Amino acid sequence: MHPVELQGRIDRELKSLPALRAPGTLLPRVLAAVRHWADRPWYARAWFTWPMWWRVASAVALLAVLAGVGVALPVVQDSVAARAAAVHLPVSVSASVDVAAAARRVVVIASTLRTLWVAIAGPFVAYAFLLLVLMGLLCAACAAALNRVAFGRTAHS
Amino acid sequence: MTGSDPFEAFVRKYQDMVFGTAARLLGNPMEAEDVAQVVFLRAFQRFPALAASPTAGGWLKTVTRNECLNHLTRYRARWRLFSEMTSARDESDSESDQSFEATLAAPDSSALDAEQQDQRVRLEAALQRLPDHQRVPLVLFHMEDMSYQSIADTLGVSLGKVKTDIHRGRETLRRQLKDDDASR
Repeated sequence: MHPVELQGRIDRELKSLPALRAPGTLLPRVLAAVRHWADRPWYARAWFTWPMWWRVASAVALLAVLAGVGVALPVVQDSVAARAAAVHLPVSVSASVDVAAAARRVVVIASTLRTLWVAIAGPFVAYAFLLLVLMGLLCAACAAALNRVAFGRTAHS
Repeated sequence: MTGSDPFEAFVRKYQDMVFGTAARLLGNPMEAEDVAQVVFLRAFQRFPALAASPTAGGWLKTVTRNECLNHLTRYRARWRLFSEMTSARDESDSESDQSFEATLAAPDSSALDAEQQDQRVRLEAALQRLPDHQRVPLVLFHMEDMSYQSIADTLGVSLGKVKTDIHRGRETLRRQLKDDDASR
């Protein structure tokens, strides 16, 4: 049969099918679901379905919190800085010697780490980064393929 | 529940259309009922605006179609992959056929003879048995009057794929009709 004839025949046949009737169980199911949904407390629903005054109040409260944070943050920062500057620690001679020794140790460790980094790890950083990017892309491709095969458009492809 | 009576009337008015659209797209009356419930719940959430709207039917149709496509994409494919329920669905085909027959509208008195009615039931069952990727575009084209291009856009597949799937679906239905003609 020619495709155009086939299209016409199938179109006629399908359009002549009688309308499907909803089962008698649908209406009670819908009404029960609607009742359950309507019985939820207002705060458990989407924000745009809240009572008008609660929407206004919540918006005002949110703005107040944001404004409060904006105003209070610099004040708190200044206060902390002022308190830190005001603290004077009593430093003894022995303590200052310990601090100097610790500082020297830190400098030695830091220079050792820097040498190791330059000599050993440095040349491989670019390759490691490249490998990391490639693995990330591979994972993304696998996830996309899995999504397409398992959860995605298989029903339509 | 506020406004339950107008909403009940609203559901009564549109339930056949919503259920029918979902049942033909999904090919499964049980899943169609689930989708219809979701659609009407969404309608209830915007019922004040929807009740007075002259385009409520169109809105319901669009939401039903989208919910069915979401259902097919998100749930059925996943369910089939991990549960391998395809064989179970095949086994339950006869049961589904019977439940589908129960949803068919009663023939208007003498207009349909028994043979014609029987052929339509078999066509409906054949449509239901088509794989999703053939039945969905076929129903969208012939029963929802969507163009090939809009079907391709809606399903996110190529135009050629849509045409091929619809043609294969038509061929399958033609064979069913041919068998019916031969058996007369």
